[in-house]
Amino acid sequence: MASSDPNKLMAKADKLTKLSLTRWSADWKSATQLYEQAAIGYRVAKNHEKAKIAFEKASKGQEMLSSPWDAAKHMESAAALAKELGNWTEVADFYKRASELYMVCGRPQPASDALAKGARALEDAVPDEAIQLYTDACSILEEDDKEQMAFDLYRAATCIYIKLEKYTDAATFLLRWGLAADKCSATNSQCKAYLSAIIVYLYAHDFKQAEKCYNDCSQIDVFLRNDHGRCASKLLSAYSEGDIEEIKRLGQSSIISNLDHVIIRLARKLPTGEVSALKTEAAEEHEEPLDENDLT
Amino acid sequence: MSVIDILTRVDAICKKYDKYDVEKQKDLNVAGDDAFARLYAAVEADLESALQKAESASKEKNKASAVAMNAEVRRTKARLLEEVPKLQRLAVKKVKGLSGEELAARNDLVLALPDRIQAIPDGSAPAAKQSGGWAASASRTEIKFDSDGRFDDEYFQQTEESSGFRQEFEMRKIKQATSLTFLQDQGLDMISEGLDTLKNMASDMNEELDRQVPLMDEIDTKVDKAASDLKNTNVRLKDTVNQLRSSRNFCIDIILLCIILGIAAYLYNVLKK
Repeated sequence: MASSDPNKLMAKADKLTKLSLTRWSADWKSATQLYEQAAIGYRVAKNHEKAKIAFEKASKGQEMLSSPWDAAKHMESAAALAKELGNWTEVADFYKRASELYMVCGRPQPASDALAKGARALEDAVPDEAIQLYTDACSILEEDDKEQMAFDLYRAATCIYIKLEKYTDAATFLLRWGLAADKCSATNSQCKAYLSAIIVYLYAHDFKQAEKCYNDCSQIDVFLRNDHGRCASKLLSAYSEGDIEEIKRLGQSSIISNLDHVIIRLARKLPTGEVSALKTEAAEEHEEPLDENDLT
Repeated sequence: MSVIDILTRVDAICKKYDKYDVEKQKDLNVAGDDAFARLYAAVEADLESALQKAESASKEKNKASAVAMNAEVRRTKARLLEEVPKLQRLAVKKVKGLSGEELAARNDLVLALPDRIQAIPDGSAPAAKQSGGWAASASRTEIKFDSDGRFDDEYFQQTEESSGFRQEFEMRKIKQATSLTFLQDQGLDMISEGLDTLKNMASDMNEELDRQVPLMDEIDTKVDKAASDLKNTNVRLKDTVNQLRSSRNFCIDIILLCIILGIAAYLYNVLKK
């Protein structure tokens, strides 16, 4: 197929859709077919810009023909081409539009897949947008009661947060992962998520938050009795005693080595900063309530 | 779906699309020129939503979702505390049309903000610090102190035993570095590590299989439907083909053909005359 053919097809299709005095309603059916052929031709000829435009128009045509499924598929192809061009805003927009069209079809699984693909494409370039897309994808799956599928998305989003060094956000997201795991009774993943959250807090040198987090999580029986819960309590007690050797030993233990590799890297780097400072802080805190007791 | 469900859903949707409500936007933009008022309004809105979340978290029965919500509230609090210094800087700026008292009032508002932010309950605030909350179970840190003591007791018994073992192990290590028991212990350590890995892999496999089960059910139903459709189509096709080939239809076709030819011949004769 010569490269002039797609151009001719595009021109023909444009003529069919442009409204004028002689044409009172656009003929979307044949126009869509021509757009699709032109888009494929452009893609073979590696003309990304024109192929992307052709896919966009094809998608619009399919929408007019009330077939949102095909429209969404074309949007995804357009988004993939936009990724080749490095046009990140368009990538995000296209994938979001594709996801909406999939939802119109009543298929949440492909919708969240589309958002996940978009997020993966944007991971390096625009990580904040990628995180937003991952969060949206997770919510779509959760609404549909398919939390099991969301685990991969949670994992990927947590990796991005840690890469961006946004540790509180990462820990919050891990706790959300734990919640999703709880809903589908995936106790192993739940406990791993909670342990990872505590490790992230400790890595960010936020001992108070880590303790609070541990207190919250110990309300959940499964975590309390699990290996992971015990490992977390050992870690926290090692921190409060300022025992660096113990922390290092726990970091090398097999329980931590079963977590996600990003978390393992953080755990191996523990302890960060001054552990003995934490020890004196913790001791002071415990003295205060005793004083009040004396007064009352 | 009951009426109440419909009402709550409508409320949620309206709230979601409020940003498209032109009139509301006009109201919000009254303070358009004043950066302080805008930022303050935004912080207030965040504060409100954080309070609501904290309330729903405290009412939440499912512990895991309570944990997740508490974490969200904490994150919002940290973010809001960061915004406060910005507000303070804006509060001192003079804006035209503002009297001296209002400026002082703004300062007070900003100073009151950190307290309000800290007061948001995030499930771990030692709420009854002053009122002799030693007996009350509101203070998490105190509970932790208690429960930690209890657990330590139980665990401590075990650790006494295990520390005894460890001491023995160390002594033996010092005495005979190459004794059989030492090698045994090393071997047992490696076995235990391998078992840990196996256990982890087994639980992951378990979860993966749980994930696959509903998918397989879906495939089952879809394939059943497709098979029954095919059967239907086949039977109808068979009937149609049989009908076409039945001898009765052929005779009928031939007779009708003769009749038509007869009529045509008659008309031809009539017209020829």
